Amino acid sequence: MSSSEMKRAKRHLETTRKMKDMLPRFFMRMFERRFSNDPLAWCMVGVPPELLKAFDLLWEWPENFGTICASRLVAPDFIKVAEGDGYSPELCTYVTNTMGYCKRWIDSGEFPEESPMPGGMGNPSMLLGSGFLCEPRYKWFQAIATRFVDVPVYSSDPLAPPWDVDPHDPRITAHYKDLLREDLHGQVEFLERHTGRKLDLGELREIMALSHKALAYWRDTLYLRQAVPCPMGSTDYFSAIIPQMYMVGEEEAVDFYREMYLEVKDRVERKVGIVEEEKYRLIWFGLPPWFNLGFFNYLESFGAVFAIESTYNVGDWFEVELDDPLEAIVERAWVRAVKMHEYGTEAMPELCNPAVFGGFVGSDMLDEAVEQYHLDGAVMHLTRSCRAVSFGEVHTRNRLAKIGVPSLIFESDMADPRLWSDAQIKTRVHAFIETLAGRNQAGK
Amino acid sequence: MHKKSGLDRAAAIAAQPEALVMDLKRQSGRPVIGYLCCFAPPEIISAAGAIPYRITGRPGEPTAEADAYMEPYGCTYVRNVFTQGLKGRLDFMDGLVISHSCDMIQRLYGIWTYYHPLSYSRLFNVPHQVTPWAGRFFKRELDFFKESLEQFTGQAVTDERLREEIALTNRNRALIRDLYRYRLENPPLLKGSEMLSLLLAGGWLPSGDFNVLLTEALAEVKKRAPDRPARPRILVWGSLLDNIAFYQMIEEAGGDVVADDTCIGFRLFEKDIDLSGDLNEGLKDHYFVDFQCPRTDRGPGSGRFEYILERAREYNVDGIVSYIISFCDPHKFDYPDLRDYLKEAALPMLLIDDNYSFAPAGTIQTRLEAFTELLAR
Ligand code: SF4
Ligand code: SF4
Repeated sequence: MSSSEMKRAKRHLETTRKMKDMLPRFFMRMFERRFSNDPLAWCMVGVPPELLKAFDLLWEWPENFGTICASRLVAPDFIKVAEGDGYSPELCTYVTNTMGYCKRWIDSGEFPEESPMPGGMGNPSMLLGSGFLCEPRYKWFQAIATRFVDVPVYSSDPLAPPWDVDPHDPRITAHYKDLLREDLHGQVEFLERHTGRKLDLGELREIMALSHKALAYWRDTLYLRQAVPCPMGSTDYFSAIIPQMYMVGEEEAVDFYREMYLEVKDRVERKVGIVEEEKYRLIWFGLPPWFNLGFFNYLESFGAVFAIESTYNVGDWFEVELDDPLEAIVERAWVRAVKMHEYGTEAMPELCNPAVFGGFVGSDMLDEAVEQYHLDGAVMHLTRSCRAVSFGEVHTRNRLAKIGVPSLIFESDMADPRLWSDAQIKTRVHAFIETLAGRNQAGK
Repeated sequence: MHKKSGLDRAAAIAAQPEALVMDLKRQSGRPVIGYLCCFAPPEIISAAGAIPYRITGRPGEPTAEADAYMEPYGCTYVRNVFTQGLKGRLDFMDGLVISHSCDMIQRLYGIWTYYHPLSYSRLFNVPHQVTPWAGRFFKRELDFFKESLEQFTGQAVTDERLREEIALTNRNRALIRDLYRYRLENPPLLKGSEMLSLLLAGGWLPSGDFNVLLTEALAEVKKRAPDRPARPRILVWGSLLDNIAFYQMIEEAGGDVVADDTCIGFRLFEKDIDLSGDLNEGLKDHYFVDFQCPRTDRGPGSGRFEYILERAREYNVDGIVSYIISFCDPHKFDYPDLRDYLKEAALPMLLIDDNYSFAPAGTIQTRLEAFTELLAR
């Protein structure tokens, strides 16, 4: 499709608009440090960001780099290079985006100029993968270190009990927590070896305290979206995940989330919504089409707002005892798994870690969300190349249908706009809006 | 009527495994436990007094039933197998065991047991990294698995029983290795499709009966003499192949499948399970540490493919056909690395990307023909 149909997102909050100044400042700071050859880790979501900070590493999130390349519409260039190298178009396009990026970089010896960030992702001195949520997260780094950069790799490997195993059984708790703990210690040992630094537990504790403070504001902000009219939209939501990924454990990040919280709270008090007339309140499932976040604004033009999103949802289970900060990381991952479990994890993939905004799908939490967020419908993005996050959408649609909530499932991709069919998607959106309107008229 | 033996019997079983297992169930009064993937040892199921049954799909069949519960973007094999369950074709199963091998299989477990509950079901969880702590987790998982089966069948899985079961499957393994040796000959004295029929039968027969079948087959093969000129020798690598159709297509195209690296193949049988020490240790080494599946992360570098090259050399292979099912992440991720590795070793490789249809007509067959022609030159 032509890029003219792609729309950059319009944000609604002052705070998220301000990120425009704040992030480049931060990235420049990171960039400058590269010249002193500070160790740079490429990391996968699932690696506790607090740990990276505690080791004073520079870091990049190739997944997030994928979202940025997608939003700048350069991802297809990289994806095509990877496809030419034998990577199937069915594979996660965040991965193929990175593989194409690496191939260009290694073949030419220079960071590709299409790269949206200054200097691209930089030359990694280590790769920190994770088996959290999906296979691509460790196969990806395995392949990078095989094909492009010969650097050490550590992939963490968290597992969670399936939905029909009782996580409260003390033997099961120990079974899983032992794995989480020993794996985390393995990760720390790896980082100590490759950075030449000893982990300072006191420092980690402080970082975690700040990180959790930021998370608490972020969580409380999300709760405020239960208000009618909804004070904050998806375009703000999806951009607001970034400070916690990069600036974790910094006062500036806490300030950002505090400010956002206060702004949203103020809007709730003044009953300021994000559209003139809020007609339909929706829940979003799946990864957003990063190349076309304007899609959310398009829905808003019909008076349809998203009050909640399934992905990157922070949850509220990170308030753990910080005395032993490593044990706190284990505990918060475990508590999250247990809470998810209580909500019904039949379609839940792997473990979700609150520190990195894991998603949830298809669970009893739905019933609560529908009530608390006053939802009229659901829109689900079935991303062809990320099955990990889309899986469970059909099941969720079935469950929502049972409680009388209609859903729209549309197919596309998170980073590859070639799978976006504007006309088709708009036709389906129109039909969906009509369904919602019909239900409103009929008093549901 | 002449009673079928050996290879013919295996082919007959492969054509109707359900009938066989229903008979077994009736005669023995034991529950049948279906399983997918190779991490949860079927020996434990037998030791608990149940009948292990390897679930297979029906290639090419539409998956409409599964599509009502599962996304269209996902391994067709998984959706095909779930369709069999939803159609009631697996209703003879009293239980279901799914190993956490790949993402899709793991997610299938939740959806299957939610919409189609069985009297017994278990997800056998498996770490992705081969670390000491992953090994410890695997061994604990073995104990939980045993316990859950004991509760279901009421029969204790004693070390003694388990040892007996493993001794039987080790005998299977030895016989299978004997049979593979006849594929070293040129032309091979045993076709790839015949070997796969036998291996499939092993997923449905009790191990003792399987030993009888293998012994019969071995006797037949021993009598064979080369009766045609040699053809290109092929190793098949890739996603699950639980039907002989694909090997037959290669044979039809003028090649001989002489070795394999897929789920139901040599990787399950090349070594015995060590019975000399702690049983869990032996099972962990066999089903986790040594079991070569790309879903397990063995670190970067091409060292992780060395065994494929070794096998290819041992079997004097001319080329490799890789069969990958659509949306199969673990294999699709490894393909470019493996392709480059084999290129360096001057071993040609053909990639077949299929949606678990094995449709013999059409482009796949043509490509297989072109590949065998190339190898024949
Ligand atoms: S969760 Fe999806 S988008 Fe993220 S790495 Fe895995 S496959 Fe890719
Ligand atoms: S074919 Fe691939 S995706 Fe399908 S079940 Fe096997 S490993 Fe998983």
